[in-house]
Amino acid sequence: MSSVDVDKYSRSLFRPTTVLVEDEAVDYPFAKSILGRLPNAEIVVIKRPTSENLTRLSRQFSSRTTLLLALHRGRFLKACPGTAESYRCCLYQILHLGLGCNIGCSYCVLQGYLNNPFITQFVNLDAAFAELERELERPGVFYRIGTGEFTDSLFMDPLTGLAPRLLDYFGRSKNAVLELKTKSVAIASLLDYPGEIGETIVSWSLNAPRVCEKEEGHAATIEERLTAAALCRQRGYRIGLHFDPLLYFNGWQDEYRQTVAAIFTHLKGDDIIWISIGAFRFMPQVKEVLKANHPQTNITAGEFIRGIDGKQRYFSAVRRQLYRFLVTEIRRYAADVFIYFCMEDQYLWQDTFGFAPVDNQELSDWLNRCCYRFSRRKTPEATGPK
Amino acid sequence: MNDIKINYCSLVDIDFEDRTFPFSYGLLPARLESSIANVGLLQPPLLVAGDQGFKIVCGRRRLEAVRKLTAGAEKISFYLVENRNFKELFRRALWENLALREFNLVETADIYVAALEIFAADEIEKEIMQALKLPVRPRFRQRCQAIVGFTRKLRDLLAVGSIDAETVDLLREWSTDERAALTDLIEETGLRRNKLREVVGRLDDLARRDEVSPREFLSAARKAVLGEDGGLDVELLRGHLKALLYPHLTAAYREFAVLQEKLFWPADLRLEPPPDFEGGDYRLSFTFTDSKEWEKICGKLNAIALEDINELCRRG
Repeated sequence: MSSVDVDKYSRSLFRPTTVLVEDEAVDYPFAKSILGRLPNAEIVVIKRPTSENLTRLSRQFSSRTTLLLALHRGRFLKACPGTAESYRCCLYQILHLGLGCNIGCSYCVLQGYLNNPFITQFVNLDAAFAELERELERPGVFYRIGTGEFTDSLFMDPLTGLAPRLLDYFGRSKNAVLELKTKSVAIASLLDYPGEIGETIVSWSLNAPRVCEKEEGHAATIEERLTAAALCRQRGYRIGLHFDPLLYFNGWQDEYRQTVAAIFTHLKGDDIIWISIGAFRFMPQVKEVLKANHPQTNITAGEFIRGIDGKQRYFSAVRRQLYRFLVTEIRRYAADVFIYFCMEDQYLWQDTFGFAPVDNQELSDWLNRCCYRFSRRKTPEATGPK
Repeated sequence: MNDIKINYCSLVDIDFEDRTFPFSYGLLPARLESSIANVGLLQPPLLVAGDQGFKIVCGRRRLEAVRKLTAGAEKISFYLVENRNFKELFRRALWENLALREFNLVETADIYVAALEIFAADEIEKEIMQALKLPVRPRFRQRCQAIVGFTRKLRDLLAVGSIDAETVDLLREWSTDERAALTDLIEETGLRRNKLREVVGRLDDLARRDEVSPREFLSAARKAVLGEDGGLDVELLRGHLKALLYPHLTAAYREFAVLQEKLFWPADLRLEPPPDFEGGDYRLSFTFTDSKEWEKICGKLNAIALEDINELCRRG
């Protein structure tokens, strides 16, 4: 029995009509459970595909309606591909359990990174958890781990049932928190989870309403996302919010003001563990891919300069305008909420907040303390920056 | 190759208008002309009988050169192919040409688009695209299709390499009128390749940013930078478009220069902000030839007030 409107909160944003299954993945229980939820889908067993084969398969099967179930042969836990020390990175860890997403945001950087056209779910979860066990044994290290870097953490959770499995693990973890990042509202399994949720964070990527409408494909509306966030908060989850990418367009102030106001009609400042902010940036080669995939968008046509990391970024004065405005707006409602920049330079940290992390480790420590702060465990030095 | 026979015909018997085998486009290579002028046509072209005369399968440039040099009066020897299987002839011509030279952008596009009519999809992918070194991605197919539809003027510029492939990808989205306006600009200014790509890129970005036609920006920019003599200075045009596309950055550089002036910054100590004002590394450079000059420079450096440095590094 579900505690919420199942139609609404169990809606998967992905409904594959075909499932390609690697022959070596067929017998995995996770693969079987996903296939069991797709009784009408065409199932095609394939050999482990090479990149050439993937191109061939993509002409045979639509990437919009095909799910690939595969084994992941590399490391599951990876450092977030932040940018060395040129911009401050929070040293986030990614649990790499899937690839791709069909929400279709025009600005999605995955368009330029992935050479696999299919939304892919790795099914060798036992190997992933075994790797986590080994990694998390390291004494004195605290991990912030997310699954929403190369995919959306929840967009097809109703098909995979992955989130509860992750909660089974992270709910009892002593030195790691899980962050599930999404633009969907597929939270039914989170709300109905019967066990310990620990310090699990459910995060929503937010943007201006106009950006949501024009650039974020099938994503849930801002209102829907915030309603879902409030429900998760009621269930006890910590809520993270990510304004990334911030876009600069005519009328951006009013638009972002609306979103900030909407946040605080659903949540209190204390409900929010952190808010990250990052202005739009992209690798130069993504521009062509983005234009080809989303010919109607003009988001790459602004005043971009080449950043120290080689990415195209808004000129610093533009970023400063965006940051100062958004931080001021948020502070009007929640003076103490922890706000941080994703991949931004010292100068803009200092300029916006009046302080800056000296290095990536310090930023990471600040975020870790946010987790401790919310923890039921008692920890010394739980004093994050204001 | 039993289907080939040596034969003779007059140039007027050849259908030069026929482009069934579109393997040559552009200016004749001077070396080819001079070879034929000196020793005649040594390598006979490959022709096939058609309704309007012989169709050129292979050797169009040789024939064009002979026609140019003899005013069309020449009788030539040629290989007549009796096989009328155009698909097979197309393949022969493709590989024959590839053995001898690289295709230019227009030729590649013409060959690809013509092949679409003759070959099955998998043959296009496995043989034709590989032969033409076209990656199997929509962008390259779209580029070819766009080039085939370009005006003669634009195709000529492409064939000689004055326009590159990346510029084509931008122009593909432009209307015929917009492309015509650009062609006029190219003719007027002699803009070529790299600078042209930059100008087209900026016009395209501006147009998309402000949701207007690139032609409007081009027309306004022309007016803004037109010299007193009515001539158009390419460098002014580039600068103007840059300022439109990067208003904040342009203002920041201007403010930095004004500030240096206001602070009486010594002209021989060249101070540059970080590139695009990104990151924090300012660059100071100066030259000296002996200890006296060095001493002078040191004196100037010591005289600079720290407040001035703070002011310069404040960045708006």
